[in-house]
Amino acid sequence: MTTPRKPQDARILAIDDEPANLALVEAVLKREGYRHFEALTDPRLAPERHLAFEPDLVLLDLMMPSIDGYALLDGLGRLTGEGDLVPIMVLTADTSVEAKRRALALGARDIVTKPFDVFEFALRVANLIELRMMFQRLGEHRPDVHGAGKPDLPT
Amino acid sequence: MTVHSVSNWWANRPLATKGLVVVAVPLLIFLGSVAALYTISRLESRAEQDVRLTIAIQNDVNEVHAALAEASSGVRGYLLTGEPRFLEPYDRAEQLVPQVTQRLRTSIRDTEASVHLARIEALASQKREGLSLLVEARRRTGADVVSDPAITAGLAANKQVLDALRGEIEGMQERERELLAARQDRLDRVRFNGLVITGLLTVAGLVGSLFAVFLFSSGIVRRVRLLERDAVLLAQGEALEQREAGRDEIGLLAVRMIEASALLRAREQALREGEERFRLVIEGVRDYGIFALDPDGRVVSWNTGAQRIKGWTSEEILGRHFSTFYPGDDAHERSMRNLAEAVRYGRMEDEGWRIRKDGTLFWANVVITALRDEAGDLRGFSKVTRDITERRRAQEALEHARQEAEQASTAKSLFLSRMSHELRTPLNAILGFAQLLELDHSGRGKADAASIDQILRAGRHLLALIDEVLDIARIEAGKLGMEIVPVALGETIAEAVSLSLPEAESHGIAIRHDIGPVAPVAADRRRLLQVLLNLLSNAIKYNKPGGAVAITAQVSGQRVRVEVVDTGIGVDPGQAGDLFQPFTRLAAGAACTEGTGLGLSLSRALIEAMGGAIGYAPRADRRDGACFWFDLPLTAPSALPDPLPARTALPSRTAACPLTILVVEDNLANAQLIEAVAARQWPEARIVHAMQARLGLDLALRHSPDLVLLDLHLPDRDGAWVLRELRTSFPDLPVILLTADAIAAQSDWTSRGAVAVLTKPIDVPALLEAVEHALMERTS
Repeated sequence: MTTPRKPQDARILAIDDEPANLALVEAVLKREGYRHFEALTDPRLAPERHLAFEPDLVLLDLMMPSIDGYALLDGLGRLTGEGDLVPIMVLTADTSVEAKRRALALGARDIVTKPFDVFEFALRVANLIELRMMFQRLGEHRPDVHGAGKPDLPT
Repeated sequence: MTVHSVSNWWANRPLATKGLVVVAVPLLIFLGSVAALYTISRLESRAEQDVRLTIAIQNDVNEVHAALAEASSGVRGYLLTGEPRFLEPYDRAEQLVPQVTQRLRTSIRDTEASVHLARIEALASQKREGLSLLVEARRRTGADVVSDPAITAGLAANKQVLDALRGEIEGMQERERELLAARQDRLDRVRFNGLVITGLLTVAGLVGSLFAVFLFSSGIVRRVRLLERDAVLLAQGEALEQREAGRDEIGLLAVRMIEASALLRAREQALREGEERFRLVIEGVRDYGIFALDPDGRVVSWNTGAQRIKGWTSEEILGRHFSTFYPGDDAHERSMRNLAEAVRYGRMEDEGWRIRKDGTLFWANVVITALRDEAGDLRGFSKVTRDITERRRAQEALEHARQEAEQASTAKSLFLSRMSHELRTPLNAILGFAQLLELDHSGRGKADAASIDQILRAGRHLLALIDEVLDIARIEAGKLGMEIVPVALGETIAEAVSLSLPEAESHGIAIRHDIGPVAPVAADRRRLLQVLLNLLSNAIKYNKPGGAVAITAQVSGQRVRVEVVDTGIGVDPGQAGDLFQPFTRLAAGAACTEGTGLGLSLSRALIEAMGGAIGYAPRADRRDGACFWFDLPLTAPSALPDPLPARTALPSRTAACPLTILVVEDNLANAQLIEAVAARQWPEARIVHAMQARLGLDLALRHSPDLVLLDLHLPDRDGAWVLRELRTSFPDLPVILLTADAIAAQSDWTSRGAVAVLTKPIDVPALLEAVEHALMERTS
């Protein structure tokens, strides 16, 4: 019914109040061949964009002035339907162990501290996309998994 | 013997003796009187008998005389007539005279009378013989008697005998008359004496009775009266006078009563003194208001302290209800509630605002104690009031200062966190784009490549600098969040060495380490690794090419010393003191070395934060090179986690419905401890962890936990708020509070819905007990 999607088709939503960082993320992702990328500097719009854009991966900055990043992390996690998996990667300048643990406890699939090594970042993104793809393929074979019947994303 | 000594002697006799004497005196007198009267009556009766006997004797004598005279006449008649009927008197006399004389012989005791009687008897028998001879003669001769000479002679002789007999009888009569008179006399005397003696005895009896009465009165009655008066005085609690009391039972009783009176007075005195002292003490107390209430709550006693604290004098307040001291409209209700509580529990303690006479308020600590008598009946209340307004103000100031300090501390951490973010965020773009440029520099010139390299280097240096500055600032602010746990030193050193190997190899340096088995040290593993990496990095960077680095560890007492020795150029002894100052890079100018200049000062801050020490020493073998060392405390046996009690099964948990424990705690070390304990103790339990208050509440709503462990100090809202919110959503959910604040732990949290309060550092057995108790309660 659907042709297997390539990782480069994945839809990536990045939320960060710092445009320079969004630009860097976009540059790295473009270099890796990802074609569907949306950058958001106002985290308050995140839920809305999340619903509209239907990302396969969310890149989320935790320290933003207008909103509590942890609450947003938690909230975005809940936007994903039961049985579905949209990995969230947290990008943060907070290097504390507490921040990492909290983020992971609240549902982040990965956490990368800023400034990050672009190679490492790219590899981690690839990992999460792969996870997402595997989950979707699993869903295609198991109709009970919610989200399996989603139409193919436009290319 | 004087009268006094006699009365003394008498008084000292025992009561039994006295009673005997008092009874015996009249009794003896009475017996004497009876004996005397008996004797008198005997004497009198004997005298009368004598008189009667004398008269009888006289009669008998007369009868003999008469009988003989008649016989004589009869015989003469017979003689003359010969007629036998004249012999009748003679026959009668023959019979009578022996009888009478016989009787007389037995009754006469008088000697003279007996002599007379003997003569009379002789004469009487002579006469009877004469008569009988005459009678015989007559019978023989017949009628002519006158001519018979024998008869004539007989008659004459008979006449003589009769005359003699008559004379004797008269003599005897005379004697008997004398005797009669004498006996009559004696009888009269006896009668008179009897009268006199009877009179005397009567008088003696009277006197004896009076004497007995006197003895009784003086020896007993009077003294018993005195005793009774003493008893009355004793009953009235008055003093008894000392007096001579005698040594008999009454005297002893009097002495005992006097002693009792003295004892009573001494006790009374002691009691009065004690009460007085107690009253003075109570009244003199200035810092405590101590007063008494009657069962209805009216003030019945007052002291200086109460006057000082409340402003009322005792005259003003006595009799008034103590609700006067409570401010507000419901003063009476509240005061009576307090009394009711004191009645129910025996004692109640309260803190709150109270009002003075002048209307000002003070913060009081009040203890009301119900006073009950031995029967358990309520007699009133004692109330002790302290004015602790100052203390309360001090507490408030302290709390205020604590809050300010907390706010300052929070502000500092916030600043550090912001700084970290603000500095790292631009670096992210700088380093990221530089990396991208480096990747894509083909087509650009060599100069570009060098520039990009410079950007990357400078950016990474800046990043290292930021990390280290922030670390130092965090340590100084106490915000580093060290997790001091037992750390295996050998393994950590091995890890540091292996991480340093690439750098060492690039410099051609060999690293030697040989750490024997060492007891675990108390350290934060990550930070210890950081220090080791820093020291190793220095030892590699400041070494000479082809040099070596050696790490050793030696236990000394309760500490272990780790030494990192290199074969570099060493440190100028004059500069050794500055080594641990920030931005000191001694050899930086000489060799081309990278570094922030903060490594050693950060290492020192970290080691000191872990309770250790760090320093530099020249090499012990005096060869070139440096020796950096640090000490860390070994894990004391007591600091190792206590062996946990045996695992206990928690109630009614199944695999389908696992036990869920929500831990709301911002301190990771504590959260990890709880998780570790739970994992070991209840492997089936699910631990949900939140580091913030709001998140904790969210997680509670999502997971509906069976138990909440709640820290009172959370970054966003305080634990009390969470507790309140939890109460409204889950009224039955047990909540155990955790706090490092010993003062906060003493507040009454149970009334606000917590089942237990544990103070940090958490005592594992106490935690287990509280958790299991809470869950058991919940199940039941």
